Amino acid sequence: MKKRLQDLRRASGRRLRAWNARRHGADSLPLTINRRRIYIVPTRFGLALAALLAAMIVAALNYNSNLALAFAFFMASLALVAMHHCHRNLSGLSVDVNLESDAFAGADTVFHFMLRNESSLERSGLEVSLEGEKPARATASVPPHSDERLALEVPIARRGVQRWDHVQVRTMHPFGWFRAWTYVHTSLTAFAAPRPEGNRPLPSAAGSGHAPLGETHGEEEFAGLRPYAPGVALKHMAWKVLARGGEPAVRVYTDLGALPEWLEWSALEGVEIEARLSQLCRWILTCESRSARPYGLRLPGIEIAPGRGPTHRIRCLRALAQQPGVA
Amino acid sequence: MGACLGLAIAAHVAALPPWLTALVAASIAMRLFLAARGRAAPGRPVKLGIAAASIAILFLQLRTFNGLSAGTALLSLVAGLKFLETHTRRDLYAVALIIYFLCLSALLRSDSFWLLLYLLGVAWLSAAALLRLALWTPLHGWPLDLRYVGRISAQALPVAAVLWLFFPRFDAPLWQLPSERGNAQTGLSDTMSPGDIVDLALSDEIAFRVRFTGPLPPADERYWRGPVLHDTDGHSWRNVGPPAGSARTLIAEGPAYNYTLSLEPHAFNWLFALDWPDKWSVPDGRLNADDTLVQSEPVSRPLDVSAQSHTHVATQEPLSATARRRDTQLPSNRNPRAIALSAELRRSHPDDLELAQTVLELFHREEFFYTLSPPPLGENSVDDFLFDTRRGFCGHYASAFATLMRAAGIPARIVTGYHGGTYNPYAGYWIVRQSNAHAWDEIWIAGRGWVRVDPTAAIAPARVEAGLDSTLAAEPLGLGIRARVPWITDLRLRLDALGQLWRQRFLNFNQVAQLSLIERLGIAEPDAQKIVLVMAAGLMLAFAWLVWQLRREERAEPRDPAVVAYRRLCRRLAAIGLARRPHEGAEGYAARVGQARPDLAAAVAALCASYSRLRYAQPSPEHGADLDALVARTRAFRPRRRAPDSGQAGASEP
Repeated sequence: MKKRLQDLRRASGRRLRAWNARRHGADSLPLTINRRRIYIVPTRFGLALAALLAAMIVAALNYNSNLALAFAFFMASLALVAMHHCHRNLSGLSVDVNLESDAFAGADTVFHFMLRNESSLERSGLEVSLEGEKPARATASVPPHSDERLALEVPIARRGVQRWDHVQVRTMHPFGWFRAWTYVHTSLTAFAAPRPEGNRPLPSAAGSGHAPLGETHGEEEFAGLRPYAPGVALKHMAWKVLARGGEPAVRVYTDLGALPEWLEWSALEGVEIEARLSQLCRWILTCESRSARPYGLRLPGIEIAPGRGPTHRIRCLRALAQQPGVA
Repeated sequence: MGACLGLAIAAHVAALPPWLTALVAASIAMRLFLAARGRAAPGRPVKLGIAAASIAILFLQLRTFNGLSAGTALLSLVAGLKFLETHTRRDLYAVALIIYFLCLSALLRSDSFWLLLYLLGVAWLSAAALLRLALWTPLHGWPLDLRYVGRISAQALPVAAVLWLFFPRFDAPLWQLPSERGNAQTGLSDTMSPGDIVDLALSDEIAFRVRFTGPLPPADERYWRGPVLHDTDGHSWRNVGPPAGSARTLIAEGPAYNYTLSLEPHAFNWLFALDWPDKWSVPDGRLNADDTLVQSEPVSRPLDVSAQSHTHVATQEPLSATARRRDTQLPSNRNPRAIALSAELRRSHPDDLELAQTVLELFHREEFFYTLSPPPLGENSVDDFLFDTRRGFCGHYASAFATLMRAAGIPARIVTGYHGGTYNPYAGYWIVRQSNAHAWDEIWIAGRGWVRVDPTAAIAPARVEAGLDSTLAAEPLGLGIRARVPWITDLRLRLDALGQLWRQRFLNFNQVAQLSLIERLGIAEPDAQKIVLVMAAGLMLAFAWLVWQLRREERAEPRDPAVVAYRRLCRRLAAIGLARRPHEGAEGYAARVGQARPDLAAAVAALCASYSRLRYAQPSPEHGADLDALVARTRAFRPRRRAPDSGQAGASEP
């Protein structure tokens, strides 16, 4: 019985959302929540209160007690006003969020919401939630004329790309008698890179890369200077040149120079897909943190040119996330 | 929440068994204590045990769970025990609902303005508790939350007022109310022994209030008629029920007096109209055969009666034989000396009226005293009073007089009721207290009907040993002091006037009042349907006001003029397509605007810098002047949509 009721609720929620999406289309962010897209219903507590109030009013009328009637009507009016307050708590709020986020499987990904309150009212008890296997929710209150950042942490179980087509923003403020909510129809994507695992050595270390490194590992030859570009580790800066008043430059060694490290899918032949991706992920992280060498990634059907830095790293990790798994 | 529950139950304390109050208090205290210590509520068997035991005791004590007081007791108990096991928000929600119900049931049997205020306070407090509960983490302290709830309540008031004023009332209850007798109520009863009324005479409680419209009857004609006592055992008198049949036709003599009685509840159905009532407003009111105005049900709630009376009446109808027999009956073995005296007087005075007059003269001439502390009387109480003690008050005189008359064969009966009253000059009505309770006689005179004789009035004023006020003054505490200090009396009268206003305007507000209210609003021929229409219109108005109020709150500008000025600047820049992005601070925004429109760069940078300084820097002595300058300059700042010469606009594109 309870389960059927829940199913019914979920189905009606879906239908309402679909209708709402048809009506408003995809939303462009930041979205200011207008009155037309706010839904409000009494909570279970509110329904119980309504039943009690009805009983109270009938009893007061029956006892012909103006005193009790005054109390009952006061409570009823309080509930009506609370309904308006609940509705107003969302109306005019503007919501923004980063549409894409990254994570490693098994950890949380975070969507950063920006709740902006232009009115002179405090907006309390706002809850932002994403449906899913594990529904995620986060709460905040926004003081008048200010913004509030809200980090919604979504647990990610598996590698892959996870998408949501809507965000629910809701509130039960002030008394928990009503629940007002709205859907923000925007597509949120979480790129879940594989869990960094595996202890195979880097292809270069294993001697199977494009770079002829083996013998020079550890005793690099100074090969000259090249102009500075952002993203170079500080220890490779030619500080002396800079001190003499020259342009910033980077010392180049034969083994670290322009020869990129290629992280290749094919290098891990025979390993199970997820483990392969995990290993590639570990290599990317290692390359990013240890050396100054650019690295590239070759996956089936995709090749990412060598590079370095956070943007490059994320590009690589997303490529891992988007790899099809076992069909 | 616990405090709210405690306060709600406190409203019932008087009506609840004391052990129950203690138990509930103990369980709330225990829960709060455990919560403060961070420990969980007691285990399930403990709680179930306590619950079962206390419900059993409650049932044994009350013998029922039906009815308002038993229900309330049970609910209080359940609420207290429920509180013992609150874990989740849902449990507290249940407690909140119980609190509301307790508030209502306390109000159902009360008329007190203060109780309403108190319980509205409880509701306010519990709403604030709910507010804190609905937030995941409370933001503010209690004072701010209470203020917020206060604002919501203020917004709710107009709607509540419209509902209360115009919601259709029931003419008759849907179901019969369980009558709650047994609450000892002071007031006249249907038996009287000579010493009885003294208890009432010392009672300060109000029996009723009366407002005369038109002329006021003279003081010695203000007799408020209650039960009539016919049957005596020689000592006490009782009303075994009025004789069968209806009232005689009374022929009014003299002027009519119109008045409105506001009766306090008492245990019987007498309405205490002024002697002798002629017309009245109570639908099921009637005159019984004793000429007393009664209704079918006891006066269990405060009741307003409008009536008209004539202080002089006569009847041509003869007294029936049964009635004559009943009203001349005396026990033969009691009071022999009184019977002998009566027989002796009868021999010299054959005329009934003359005989009555002689007895009154006797009371006046002989050493009869009026006192509220008479000596005790023996078996033949009338004999003892007439010949030995000669001290008493209205009950003694009325029963002695009636005994003497009956012994002489004149039909006589004792009427109890009230006499006199205190005028309240602040609201123009009379207060009749239990201390105004009185007993007098009526004798049957052929051709005139029942004639009122008040033997107590015959006592020589010099022998009124202890008047009412002096008796009260002799009391060591309370009453005496109140009666003596004039300003306290004065204050009490004013408070009483207020209370009366509350009662008339609020407690007795009914459909009739609704109709007249609507008529005053200018709607002709009001009826129930029009009341509903007016309610709908009123609700619409109230909601319009509410929405307007809510919008106004929403739009309120921030207080700091610097913020207002900065917003104005942003608005004007947005109008030319350079809206500030949400993440941009004043400096960054100015830089971007400067890049896009070099012609505006200097002005915008200056304004933004001024804004940042005013808003975030330490206040400097020039703060005020700077602020004024910022406000004036943003007002004057009106950027044009296009830069003055296109060359520069082109230059900004890389």
